[in-house]
Amino acid sequence: MRTSLVILGKDLRQRLRDRSVLLISIVVPLVLASIFGLIFHNAIGGRLSFKFAVVDQDHGPAAHAFISAGLAPLEQRGLIHVVREPTLAAARTATDQNKVAATFVIPAGLSDAVGHGRPARLTVIGSVDSTIGAQVAESIARSFADVTDSARIVAAAIGGGGISPGLAARLPNPISIADVSTKSRQLDAGTFYAAGMAIFFLFFAVQSGTASLLEERRDGTLARMLVAPISRRAVLVGKLLTSLVVGLVSLVVLAVATHFLLSARWGNVLGVAMLIVAAVLAASAVMTLVATLARTPEQAGSWQAMVALVLGMLGGAFFPVAQAGGVLATLSLATPQAWFLRGLENMSGGAGAGAVLGPTGAILIFAAITGGLALARAGRLVAR
Amino acid sequence: MKALTIAGNDLRRLVRWRANIFFLFVLPMLIILLLGASFGGSQKARLGVLARDPGPLAQRFTRTLSERPSTQLVRYASYSQLQKAVSQGDLDAGLVIPANYDSLLAQGRTATLSYFARPNSVAQQLRPTIQSVAAEQSRTLAAAQVLQARTGTSFASALTRANTAAAHTPRLQVLMTAPDGGRYTVTTGRFQEGASTELVLFIFLTSMTGAAFLIETRRLGISRRILSTPTSTRTIVVGQLLGRLAVALAQALIIVLGSLLFFGVAWGNVLGTAAVILAFCLVGTGVAVLVGSTFSSEEQARPVGFLLGLGLAALGGSMAPLEVFPSTARKIAHITPHAWANDAFSKLLKHGGDLVTVLPQIGVLLGFAAVAIVLAVWRLQRTLTA
Repeated sequence: MRTSLVILGKDLRQRLRDRSVLLISIVVPLVLASIFGLIFHNAIGGRLSFKFAVVDQDHGPAAHAFISAGLAPLEQRGLIHVVREPTLAAARTATDQNKVAATFVIPAGLSDAVGHGRPARLTVIGSVDSTIGAQVAESIARSFADVTDSARIVAAAIGGGGISPGLAARLPNPISIADVSTKSRQLDAGTFYAAGMAIFFLFFAVQSGTASLLEERRDGTLARMLVAPISRRAVLVGKLLTSLVVGLVSLVVLAVATHFLLSARWGNVLGVAMLIVAAVLAASAVMTLVATLARTPEQAGSWQAMVALVLGMLGGAFFPVAQAGGVLATLSLATPQAWFLRGLENMSGGAGAGAVLGPTGAILIFAAITGGLALARAGRLVAR
Repeated sequence: MKALTIAGNDLRRLVRWRANIFFLFVLPMLIILLLGASFGGSQKARLGVLARDPGPLAQRFTRTLSERPSTQLVRYASYSQLQKAVSQGDLDAGLVIPANYDSLLAQGRTATLSYFARPNSVAQQLRPTIQSVAAEQSRTLAAAQVLQARTGTSFASALTRANTAAAHTPRLQVLMTAPDGGRYTVTTGRFQEGASTELVLFIFLTSMTGAAFLIETRRLGISRRILSTPTSTRTIVVGQLLGRLAVALAQALIIVLGSLLFFGVAWGNVLGTAAVILAFCLVGTGVAVLVGSTFSSEEQARPVGFLLGLGLAALGGSMAPLEVFPSTARKIAHITPHAWANDAFSKLLKHGGDLVTVLPQIGVLLGFAAVAIVLAVWRLQRTLTA
């Protein structure tokens, strides 16, 4: 065991000296998590805001109703920002250049047509570069049209001809939709990207541990270790320990750093600890297995990168694959990354460590299968 | 001439290493597939509905919702099952119609439906769909409630009157057009939207992995051996730049052709697209050689490559459209070459632009490339002769 610890110490010193391990296990995931958190903050939190233009060619009560009752309340809530465009041509140009996401065109004679029960039309010009904003604009226009229709139906049923001004504004709202999307069981943007990047780069951070045996063999240092009174097992254990230590330090540092720097909410400490330990075991096991299949350190490096990339992508470390449903969502459950993130999701409503027992178990099963295969083949790594 | 030999040798070394086929070909296609599947526009949104009220109005609401083309409706019988399905991603959103839906409406009151969604783009499309069904139902329901209040008849007969009136009241139409007055089409395919931004991401990311390759060339002593022949450092520098450029172009070609063949992605004006790709490949080449000559070990260059390759791509709108960025992030996006390339592709693919339309973007990209290449050549000459 002492020998293994000496090997561990030597490997750690070596990796720290060229700073590569610090880069891949801490700096890169931290910086990427901050960038992603910054960019996707609004999108994931549902706080999108769009800029729209209005061209009023009508100047009548219907146009006034649309602007003051249809748009103004949304603008006051900060959901949209509305500018006036003097002419249709100017509005088309602004929309084409994506300066606004969409333009509402209130045609001349709209008030007259609406007031007298004649067919009428609102036009929404959408920017092709702001597809989400354009759809929002369309639905705003449609809901105004629906309210106006209600008023016209009332007027037609009572049989007074035109609609009284202000009737549309005083119409009841029979169906309302309350968004009760719980923030529980779903990670916020900051936490999702902190955890996603941490688990993604974990697999890169641990890869050098056992794969470095291939380097030692190439450089002749393995043979030198083996002629000394050092058992093969001690060498192997030392290398495995390097993987485990680097992985543990990486995840723990990232969890603590993102908690303070990016206000990521990882959840219950004991639960996070269980997930971290299981994930480090799984990452070390699968990376060791890949290393036993390779002949040269270069081969091991690129195969490991492939496995880490595919598992990370499928596991939803970059974008939530589970929402795609179907085969991909099922496949993603074969990855420890997916279970790690699901474990954190389970705790995000404030649940205790019990909520991660299932996910931790799943990660450990992955670790046991790949680790078992790796151990069965590990002899090849320390063969002379 | 010698420079071409050096570049050719670099390419041969790359292709001989079979794992690179994965990185150059399989990985980009996999990402386009995954992104298309996760965020693709033409995907059906899956909505779970729990109708606690068996009444006719509640039934009509559910029926109208199920007739919406973009929505796949799944009926649930228990709240906990519905909630679980949403939280695990089997559904994009859940909707609960309260048990007293019909009676609330008949009393002239507001019925509140509970909606909960996953935080994803599909769910964002669902909310307006439900809202529009509610608004459509409200047209006659609101009219009926007003009639009931004004005339004192029963709700049922008020609703009948409202429905009759609705049948011959023309509706206020909403028409969506593109800026040129033509039909507004969101996207032509679920993979179309992501393909050009992914192309930009991968050209740069692949270039970045080339940085480690340059360091390997030095570590293996290939550069030293070439220098011992009558070859100037300038030739080696040009050769290595050409080699990187060839790899970047090969990556671009693979993605363009692969996405065209497998996913039917359209790439717009040939000349314009080719020019943007070439300009962006030059940027990638410059930065790759700069990183490769600045760092001393492959282990260092690789993480730095990841950081630049993914970080700049995210900032420049290659991972999510700039439209959803907060305003500060939107402002800094254009410090990345990615944002300019994405702008150019938007002009080519969505606005029907050609080479002339994208000349400003190409100019900026060439500016990026010039700065990166000048710095890279300066560093590389120093590293080679050190």
